[in-house]
Amino acid sequence: MDLEILAFECETETDVVCTPPFVNELFETPDVFELFGVGVNRAMLLMFLAAFVVIALLWVALRKRSVVPTKFGAAIEGLVTLVKDEIATGIIGPQGAKYAPYLISIFLFILVGNLMEVTPFINFPITSRMALPAFLAILTWVIFVFAGFKEQGLGYLGHIIWPKDVPIALRWLVGIIEFVSIFLVRPFSLAVRLFANLVAGHVMLTLLLVTGYVYITGFSNATFNGVFGVMWWALALAIFLFEVVVSILQAYIFTLLSAVYIQTSVHPEH
Amino acid sequence: MTEIEITKGAIALIGYGLAAIGPGVGIGILAGNAVQAMARQPEAAGMVRTTMFLGIAFTEALALIGFVLFFLA
Repeated sequence: MDLEILAFECETETDVVCTPPFVNELFETPDVFELFGVGVNRAMLLMFLAAFVVIALLWVALRKRSVVPTKFGAAIEGLVTLVKDEIATGIIGPQGAKYAPYLISIFLFILVGNLMEVTPFINFPITSRMALPAFLAILTWVIFVFAGFKEQGLGYLGHIIWPKDVPIALRWLVGIIEFVSIFLVRPFSLAVRLFANLVAGHVMLTLLLVTGYVYITGFSNATFNGVFGVMWWALALAIFLFEVVVSILQAYIFTLLSAVYIQTSVHPEH
Repeated sequence: MTEIEITKGAIALIGYGLAAIGPGVGIGILAGNAVQAMARQPEAAGMVRTTMFLGIAFTEALALIGFVLFFLA
């Protein structure tokens, strides 16, 4: 929720009390300041904050190597082990250890970025700007394409556009479908999934909280409408808890799908 | 907002609703079968859960593309 959304245009003469700004205002991030001719906005600052938080978490948790880790250290270690064992080596196989650092990085970065949605006073998921999910998806795309060419050579492309296990009359058609689905649809759906989930949550939370705020403050009959306002806020609280689950799940799914895509290019289907 | 814009928004909203039907049914079937599989074979629960999330992610994409198109329209 940007603060600007609270700037209602109120008309006291007519029955219409307040008109909240259009929902598109949620998608505008004005520049906070300018640095060397490049406008810096809130999303960029929060992106750096997310990166810093991830580095700080890992550094604080794993700085000292001791036999008995602290509780915090054990928690972070559990998270890292989850990604490394369940996702990296669990899905990709023994070669997955090579890709574990990348998967752990994007998992933690997306997790922190998503959880900013439900962090008080930030309330802005950086992953709800298409630039960031698109960049992460392109990163995954580059990695799985390179992994494919490295493991299988030019046969990687050959397997896709001329699949040997399909009847020869259909090979060109299957090849085109496979090519489009692997090289175009995969990164697109990967980015859109993360983006749309977070935007949906962000808009939903904003609408509920602003509705509650309008009910409590916007009308003259405060006691009756106040009850409705508090009910809206109670609903918003429930959605908050739901969004925590969505944030964690989306970070997990993005990492999982990255691993699956890398796996399909490391191990060709026999 | 002009009348055309409002109509466009309403049609986009209906489009999003239509786009959500298929994935809704799909995720229901998927989750139901996953629960059944986990109940029948609790020791395979971990594997089933991972596969279920994958399936949900693929199915959900259609609804989310509809949601994005609603904003683009």
